[in-house]
Amino acid sequence: MERLRRTMMFVPGSNPSMVSDAYIYGADSLMFDLEDAVAINEKDSARLLVYNAIKTIDYGNTEVVVRINELHGPYGRDDVEAMVRAGVDVIRLPKTERKEDIYEVEAAIEEVERKIGREIGSTKMMAAVESPIGVINAYEIATSSKRLIGIALGAEDYVTNMKTKRYANGLELLGARTQIVIAARAAGIYALDTVYSDIDNEEGFKNEVELIKQLGFDGKSVINPRQIKPVCDIFAPTAEEIKKSANIRRAAQDAQKHGLGVISLNGKMIDKPIVDRANRVLQLATAVGLYKEEMQNEK
Amino acid sequence: MKIIKNSMVGTLESSDIQIRVEPKDEVGIEIQLKSSVEKQFGKQIKKVIKETLESLGIDRAFVIATDKGALDCTIKARVQCAAYRAMGDAQKINWEVID
Amino acid sequence: MDYDFNGKRIFLDDMLERKKLEKFLNIQGIKLDKNLDYTVGIYKANELIATGSFYKNTLRCLAVKSEYQGMGALNTVVSNLMNEQYERGFTHIFLYTKCNYLRLFNDLGFYEVARVENLLEFMENKSNAVTNYSLELAKTSVKADRVASIVINANPYTLGHQHLIEVASNENDVVHVFVVSEEASVIPFLVRYELVRRGTTQFKNIILHKTGDYIISNATFPSYFIEEEENVVVVHAKLDLEVYKKYIVPALGITSRYVGEEPYCNVTKKYNEVMKESLENQGIKCKTIPRLNINGKAISASTVRQYIREDKVEEIKGLVPYTTYDYFRSKEAEEIIKMIKSRKSRH
Repeated sequence: MERLRRTMMFVPGSNPSMVSDAYIYGADSLMFDLEDAVAINEKDSARLLVYNAIKTIDYGNTEVVVRINELHGPYGRDDVEAMVRAGVDVIRLPKTERKEDIYEVEAAIEEVERKIGREIGSTKMMAAVESPIGVINAYEIATSSKRLIGIALGAEDYVTNMKTKRYANGLELLGARTQIVIAARAAGIYALDTVYSDIDNEEGFKNEVELIKQLGFDGKSVINPRQIKPVCDIFAPTAEEIKKSANIRRAAQDAQKHGLGVISLNGKMIDKPIVDRANRVLQLATAVGLYKEEMQNEK
Repeated sequence: MKIIKNSMVGTLESSDIQIRVEPKDEVGIEIQLKSSVEKQFGKQIKKVIKETLESLGIDRAFVIATDKGALDCTIKARVQCAAYRAMGDAQKINWEVID
Repeated sequence: MDYDFNGKRIFLDDMLERKKLEKFLNIQGIKLDKNLDYTVGIYKANELIATGSFYKNTLRCLAVKSEYQGMGALNTVVSNLMNEQYERGFTHIFLYTKCNYLRLFNDLGFYEVARVENLLEFMENKSNAVTNYSLELAKTSVKADRVASIVINANPYTLGHQHLIEVASNENDVVHVFVVSEEASVIPFLVRYELVRRGTTQFKNIILHKTGDYIISNATFPSYFIEEEENVVVVHAKLDLEVYKKYIVPALGITSRYVGEEPYCNVTKKYNEVMKESLENQGIKCKTIPRLNINGKAISASTVRQYIREDKVEEIKGLVPYTTYDYFRSKEAEEIIKMIKSRKSRH
């Protein structure tokens, strides 16, 4: 089953204490940033810092993502080489606009995987859409590569490109958000929302998380440990949802056990997407301690 | 690989180490270390610095290190970067050696 | 983890930012120094909580708001400044601070060079640089009973300077002449030094040196520490003398210092007074030699520069040794003459 990606914590790749310690905060994924968070004269030192950290530190179950610099600039290729060698889980591209952007990075990644004997395809990718053209091309981007596990919205650059700014109610991002989440669903990959910079505005943050959950996003980018728990709480299923999903799972397991071709529950046919969804709900519930698998095995 | 100019990498912030590298004529790596944990870890820190430089094929350098509690992987990263910066502009990283 | 502090450059020609900074510094008990090349501010949200600046290779005007002390804000300031210094090619970095911060800066990799008790610490970012300087000097030491020293800027080398050196040369076994290497004068150090060298070949007991980073001019000395304007010179003199007594005198076995009488500049006059008292306390003779007069006027390097500025190179003939005169008439000097003409300051 797909891993949980409710929270992706942005960590500046130039900060050694954050790079080595950030995993203690319990975010589902850690994104080490070599791009916007790193000053030009520190691109080389940040790359080496993240490289050495990934190689040495055991991040446990946390997914390790690195946002590289764009491939056409002076840093992107070296970033790819270093991160693939280090054993990163996911390489995130900034400012993705069309499928060719993905092809280029994929080729660069594959070249390094071959060189060092790492399993071809083992380095995953994620695309960040930060411009109008990227939003328009969201579906072609989302389906461009087997390695692509998710697509994200980068709001700061997007609103600048759109000649507007960020407002509290997020209406200016509605078009981009919906296009991205639709594309992600159609492609079967996951959708990640953008960062919320006003760390002290807890109310505003929660409102935004509620909104993106409603739109169907899988998770949110966070920039401060304080933002992690609110996201997990909001994404946690309700008791009713959990009960429903547990029953669906029981029905599915039952059908399998008895060799039944079709799963049904309360007169309704349960097909695969619904079973997957139920499993997803239970996974989320388990992660926040609201559900325990053992309860199922009392017979 | 030769150190030809002065370079500095890192900050004085907690968990980091500031590494300054300068060229040296005679063979040998001389390290001036300032660390809050000098007694317990001074030797280890110097060892990591020396070995990292040696693995890059550097046999002579002055290193001034101000440590603020950095992990070995951070020390390595800072030393590698300082060494490359001190080797001149077009020096590309030799990943075979670092890996 | 300080997710909260962020550093931004402060441009001092932005009047609003400058006023905010001055206000901040005043609360911490210091003023904004007049000479600054770069300033950084550390902010928590939009609040300024720490700052630091530098001028050439010296860090100055460092301050952290009291509520935020002990949280590493100073480390952030100093890291930022050192980074910027390295970008500009300065790797040997100095700083001035109050005496009670000695330990704090030790932890950041700075070591004491000298201090003026209760007032000022002068530090550098290497633990052995000044002692190495001293050892290098000692290699040129000549064992003798009468060892004199002179410190001159020589901007440019005139008959006045030559006279001073001549008197010292006659009265001593060895004379160590230090040419100020700090680039605070319109004529670059290398040229000044060369003119001194050319103009002292006739003396057999002269050894030339550069002062290095440890003796600085009034222009560079940070004045913002000190309350009263007059005291700035006194403190500066005291610091220079601490360095001199601690590192230069023992290395060379100096028994006396010769200085030219200063009829014009009050600042220099005051400096010399402080010097005389300080040295004589340590048993080092301090001899003030009257300036060489031509037509009733003491020879001064600024007069020479003025003539050059006015394209009257011929006029300097009577004021400088022929080696200096020859230089200013040569092709070699064209660039320097251009610089002198375009320079607006007195120096």
